[in-house]
Amino acid sequence: MDTIVLLTLIGSALRATTPLLLAALGGLFSERAGVVNIALEGIILFGGLAAAISVQQMEVRLLAANPNANLAYLPWLGLIFAAIIGGFVGWIHAVISIRYKADQIISATAINLMAIGMPALILTGLYQNTTTSQPIQHRLPLWGVSGFQLSPLVYFAFLLVPVVYFVVFKTPFGLRLRAVGEHPEAADSVGINVRRMRYYGVIISGVLAGLAGAFLSIGNLNQYVANMSGGRGFIALAALIFGKWHPVGVLGATLLFGAFQAAATLLGGSNLLPPTIVESIPFILTMLVLAGFIGRAVAPKAVGKPFDK
Amino acid sequence: MIERIALATLAVLSMLGIWLAPWAAVARQTGARSAVILLPGRFIDFTGRTDPLLIPGLTVVMILCLIALLVILLASFLKEKWRTLGWLLAGVVLLVTTVTSLNTVQQKVRQAKLDIVQTLIKEELAAPGNRTDVTALSDVLARTSERSIELSILEARQAGFTIRRLAYDNPGSGLAAFLTFITGLLASFFGLGFFSKIKTFLNRIVRVIAVPAVSIMLSLIVAAVVILLLQPTGIGGDFVISSPFVRLVGRLEILWRAYLTLFSDSLGTLSGFAESLKFATPLILTGLAVAFGFQAGLFNIGAPGQMVLGAVFAMLAGLYMPGPRFVVVPVAILSAALGGGLWGAIPGWLKARFGANEVINTILLNYVAASILLFSLSSSLAFASAALRILQFLGILALIIVILGLIPPLRLRVAKAPRLVFAVIGVIALVGMVVVGLPRSGDGTVVLNMPFKAPGSEPKSYPLQETAHMAQLPALLGVAGEGEAVVILNLALVWALLAFGVALWLLPKLIARLKNRWQNLAASALVAAAVYALAAILGQAQVETLLSPTKLNTSFIIAILAAICVYYFLWRTKWGYELRAVGVSPKAAEYGGANIARNTILTMTISGALAGLTACHYVLGGALEEYSLRQALPTNDGFDGIAVALLGGNTPLGVVLAAFLFGVLKNGGTILNVTFTGLTRDVVSMILALVVLFIAARGFLPEAITNPLKRKLASDPKPTGEDS
Repeated sequence: MDTIVLLTLIGSALRATTPLLLAALGGLFSERAGVVNIALEGIILFGGLAAAISVQQMEVRLLAANPNANLAYLPWLGLIFAAIIGGFVGWIHAVISIRYKADQIISATAINLMAIGMPALILTGLYQNTTTSQPIQHRLPLWGVSGFQLSPLVYFAFLLVPVVYFVVFKTPFGLRLRAVGEHPEAADSVGINVRRMRYYGVIISGVLAGLAGAFLSIGNLNQYVANMSGGRGFIALAALIFGKWHPVGVLGATLLFGAFQAAATLLGGSNLLPPTIVESIPFILTMLVLAGFIGRAVAPKAVGKPFDK
Repeated sequence: MIERIALATLAVLSMLGIWLAPWAAVARQTGARSAVILLPGRFIDFTGRTDPLLIPGLTVVMILCLIALLVILLASFLKEKWRTLGWLLAGVVLLVTTVTSLNTVQQKVRQAKLDIVQTLIKEELAAPGNRTDVTALSDVLARTSERSIELSILEARQAGFTIRRLAYDNPGSGLAAFLTFITGLLASFFGLGFFSKIKTFLNRIVRVIAVPAVSIMLSLIVAAVVILLLQPTGIGGDFVISSPFVRLVGRLEILWRAYLTLFSDSLGTLSGFAESLKFATPLILTGLAVAFGFQAGLFNIGAPGQMVLGAVFAMLAGLYMPGPRFVVVPVAILSAALGGGLWGAIPGWLKARFGANEVINTILLNYVAASILLFSLSSSLAFASAALRILQFLGILALIIVILGLIPPLRLRVAKAPRLVFAVIGVIALVGMVVVGLPRSGDGTVVLNMPFKAPGSEPKSYPLQETAHMAQLPALLGVAGEGEAVVILNLALVWALLAFGVALWLLPKLIARLKNRWQNLAASALVAAAVYALAAILGQAQVETLLSPTKLNTSFIIAILAAICVYYFLWRTKWGYELRAVGVSPKAAEYGGANIARNTILTMTISGALAGLTACHYVLGGALEEYSLRQALPTNDGFDGIAVALLGGNTPLGVVLAAFLFGVLKNGGTILNVTFTGLTRDVVSMILALVVLFIAARGFLPEAITNPLKRKLASDPKPTGEDS
């Protein structure tokens, strides 16, 4: 195969992997702490919206003040906004499911439902349009050699894997996080603040999912498009299970899913297989994993259960 | 305690409202412009071109309301007997005053409109245009005063004279009137506690509806912020907002009008009512699907996928099933249920057999189903022949495995060494795929089209056979389906039936002697007859109204029947009992002899079948503009079903009511889109999400609302326990 085609394929696979990896690593923090986070899907949307809108609004104002200003820092500010909003939505999920002990799946479903209506309303208020935000001029830069350039978030996501591994498995914080997800009563009895650890886990997952959204809106594109996550939050969750709640496993699973997505996009133009079939293969694969046909996945023991002291 | 705080707050709010908020609007035009009346007779015209109307008696209304509100406020601090009595009396006064006053406004506005219509018609008759039918128009003129104005306008149009614009559009109540009305309603409701027999009964109702009601209220309050941010006050003509007071009135009117728009069309007109039932139909089914799962302790997020499979199966039956209508329609309905049921059974089986979590599996299956829909409706699917051979091979292999799996001795063998068997199958599959996938001579691209895919690029199937169409409800009831139609409605009968139902349920609780079923039936029938007579005297037996074309079809009846069946199955059969027992405590139920695995599969199958039945509405009922399967199938209804089930407390009756509420809101959302410049129907989806959020987070409500019994038990040992 031609090297250029191969490079393009690898590049698009890495790009498809990045949001999945970010969201799945986020989900890892949350689920290791014992809180299921189906809200990843909605948080990605909120993060993407926050990034696109904040950059667009600042850009318009700053360019109006000085048309020749150097605004290369703007997308980075957008990333920060996405992280903050993602963390905030994660915090809402945390408050409802940890503090008020609501069913974690229901509370997350509510957030996902919210992520359908709320962005549309905000877009209407700002741009008189329910589906897209106004395109921005300053998106995230591309790093790399010519012919193989990727968004900085791609590098960040892959560098995050060893970091997450270190934090979760080699630090006291990680030990506490895992303890809270496996056996909250025991963790509580040795003086770990169960609720606080769970809050940390869910908020971190929100921040990372928010970044995943920012990658979609100001990294891949230059605007927010309604429903642009397209199920990536759920796929990330599946990848988390496929990867057995371990950063390296998650990396493998998201790479697999990303490769399938890239292949499906590539096949869209060729006459090999209809892309819809290729796209649904990862889902079927995940179901087989869940059923234990390809190695058993064992969830953190206390996942999904509210902690009642 | 909680009701005392609530009523006192409401009374204060209503007093403020009477001073600051519009009491009624005499005109509400598109673009969010209104002309409003404030008590006692202040008139603010945001439209800039509405002449003030003189409404008599508003000062009296204001004084009466203020006195009654003051009584309610003071009574909240009194002992129980005096409190309830005060509430009851003041509440009734408030209700009567508000209703009478709003009625007066309506009458005055109608009179004013009537005058305009009559003048217009008279002018036209004096100098008739060449298309005007003079005799018919003078007929219309003669009858204007006894018919509704909309009807007169319609008939005038049929007679060739079009009346385009009328002053005083859409008059209606204002925020202040609504607040006082609600305060009056709640005060008289709690005031009924004065009669001790009703009191226990009231407590029971409050316990059931407290959490949903409070959640809806809180979501509406949050949504209010969004509405106020998005929608500026509409101004017409040369009107200028001169003072902060006028600005505030404008804001309050916008807010109230947005909510009124959400509800008024659906609850105030027959067309709107039919439309909201149409929206409610699929929601009832998906709500039942989710609720059924919940009752058995399973979370079915897979309703969207099950809807798709149900729709595909129904479409297949509707296209290819030969025979007369009374065979095809039931078969198509059953295949809709079968498709959804099969798709639901997969995660059920995976959970029962392998312990795989049903939540994540149903989500994954949603995406697979979406792919199936996309795949079967896209045009010219291009395969490489090798790829096609691989797929065929996999299909045949799967078929062989399923057939072999049906042989019991083989199944036993497999159960002994499942991993090994799966490994062997995997190897066979891989080797086979490589062998059949090897390039052969004459390989090329094969272009497939699904046989049911309609030609063209539009993703939809061929239209179904005539025999598979489910009847539209208005046509079934003998009302013409094309264009607007005048319907004569017997509202008295509706009231009587409602009264009969309520009486049947309420009378035995109030009157101890009515324990006998037949006596109860007879007494309820008497009540119903009385209500009918009263309504007939008030002219409700023959109400003329307009009906726009609607897609409400017989699947609504199927949805209601499904709700009844679910109720019967869950609460009146031993299987249902077992299912609910598993839902409450799987371990205890298993100890008691329940088969958990079988129950899991059964639950997911039935739940999926319920979701699949939505195909009756969308495919067989033609709710997607035509009788065919289209990619526009709104699978989001499956997610909305979660909200419906939660709001309905996972009971069939609750689900039907909640679905109706959501249907009303969805219909209101479409109207909102038209009337307001800054708002879209997404307000509704946000309100729905907020409702779920608040119901999920009910822990932050005071325990007196969420769990009054527990609170009572907990505080009994120490009478000095905290008050909410």
